[in-house]
Amino acid sequence: MSRRGKETRPGKRASGEKELARAQFFGLRKWQYIAINAFLIFHTLAICCWCMPFGSPFIAACREALRPYFVWSGLFQSWDMFSPLPKSANAYMEALVLYKDGSTTIWGFPRMEQLTLTEKYSKERYRKFMESVLDEKNATLWPDVARHVARLPEIRGGNPQKVLLVARWSNVVRQEDGTFARGPWDEHVFYRYDVKPEDLQ
Amino acid sequence: MTAKSFLAAWNEFFFAEQSPIPIALFRVIYGVMVVATLLLLRPDWAEWYGPHAWVSLPTMQGIEPGPRLNLFTVMPESYFWVQALFWVFLVSAACLTLGLLTRANSVVVYLCLASMQQRNLFILHGGDTFLRVAGFFLIFAPAGAAFSADRLIRIWRGKEGVEIRPRRPWAQRMIQFELALVYFVGFCWKVAGAPWVEGSALSYIYHLDELQRFPMPSWLLNPTILKLATWFTLVLEFALGVLIWIKEIRYYLLATGLFFHLCLEYSLNVPMFQWDVLSAYVLFIDARDLERVWNRIRDRVGGYFGERVTVIYDGSSERPRRLANLLGAIDIFGRLSLADLKDSGVQLGVRATEARDKTVVGTNFGPRQGLDAVRTVASAVPLLWPVYAVLRIQKLFKPATSTKAR
Repeated sequence: MSRRGKETRPGKRASGEKELARAQFFGLRKWQYIAINAFLIFHTLAICCWCMPFGSPFIAACREALRPYFVWSGLFQSWDMFSPLPKSANAYMEALVLYKDGSTTIWGFPRMEQLTLTEKYSKERYRKFMESVLDEKNATLWPDVARHVARLPEIRGGNPQKVLLVARWSNVVRQEDGTFARGPWDEHVFYRYDVKPEDLQ
Repeated sequence: MTAKSFLAAWNEFFFAEQSPIPIALFRVIYGVMVVATLLLLRPDWAEWYGPHAWVSLPTMQGIEPGPRLNLFTVMPESYFWVQALFWVFLVSAACLTLGLLTRANSVVVYLCLASMQQRNLFILHGGDTFLRVAGFFLIFAPAGAAFSADRLIRIWRGKEGVEIRPRRPWAQRMIQFELALVYFVGFCWKVAGAPWVEGSALSYIYHLDELQRFPMPSWLLNPTILKLATWFTLVLEFALGVLIWIKEIRYYLLATGLFFHLCLEYSLNVPMFQWDVLSAYVLFIDARDLERVWNRIRDRVGGYFGERVTVIYDGSSERPRRLANLLGAIDIFGRLSLADLKDSGVQLGVRATEARDKTVVGTNFGPRQGLDAVRTVASAVPLLWPVYAVLRIQKLFKPATSTKAR
């Protein structure tokens, strides 16, 4: 009996110490507590660094260091909705298609102002996409867009030869009395694409 | 503030156990948001993500090089696989909403959501980004601790009682932190732009035809009103980003934020953004207040479902006790009155021998057992109405089948 008692007591003490240690770390093991805290501190600071609009060289260096992880994990984020400068022009784009037989057609992207409420909900991605395509920074998208237009069922059958992407816009202008109005419409062809036979495969 | 008090506050904020009801409720709303986003994308799914999408995969990888969590880069580029990903994503999001295999499905949903967004970054709005980032932290949260099929399974297996056990909220705090950051960073960006500071920003926005949803009253489009609304936006974004952490004013801010987003939902065409952001408001509501509100709703609505049903179970037996716990968890409208056989005066005409090792349902027409008991309970508990419908259909077809067999 006494031997058994001697054997169990240290075990009991050890488990009691473990419980005490766990209570100190909110029911977590010490390594779990440390790991979660490291995770929290890293992510809190990293997310702040990533999305705060501060231009200091230190923050820029941190952002560069964080980039691989944020881009890989999908934690990249920006919260610059309508800012710092809200869009100040009504703009949309169309595709002018020239066929081999000399005829032409205009293919229009879905325009939100011409859609019903339910269509607006499902086609809103086109508005965002048009906004991106119209930005010169995203010129690498233009060949893909032109190719996709040429490949559309209603276009492909007519044997398209060229696709011209046309931007149309009207600036929102501030008038002398302080009110705002829509300016006249303007347009320009911002990309020309020669359709290749393999594009229509 | 000393280092010691800072550490204590940090631990209290991230680790002091609290009810998981807000995070579980967020999981349900989050799941609905993801499902809605997917259903809205369904008609153009192949146009955006198919092998001949508007933006090809090589173009996307060229614009944004480097390794990314993107299933599109590892799966074959064919319509079959693109469609398969859609259905896997949808089913997983539905399971996450229901809380079935919550942790696994939160991982699958995040993986699919991140893949979908990485595949085409040019069609995303702030709401999508919020869903993605919140989804990342949701993986680590005890999101299945309440309102979930997982919990019902745990109760049935006897691993959990009816009481919802408190949990460490650190993952929930990170989602709260993200929501506050959305507003605060938005505020920082806006104050850097002259149109926001001088008050003309909303005048530009409300003259963009593509963004207009429903007609606005003309007096609201008055430049002075729009100027005030522009500044109000700045003040509100700052408050929701910084002052939201002050408990005393939190609910006023949340109510103002809700009103603000509903106004934007009415007037601006940015589908889902407002709902995606509003979904996380629930995380700022105290679980006790959520329970109080729910109890009020239950008391109001419960009366419309008719008489309460008494379920008598033998608490000394394992199986009936688990079943009673399960029914208690499912019965969110309080339609059942669960009574242990051993408690005196609850038998309602049920003999002790009749209910030993069993679960008996007391009705005005005497005790019910077996399928009759299930039918009675299913008819009383709204979450079990689908079961009741199945049993009714089965009952309708039963005589015909038996006649045929004869």
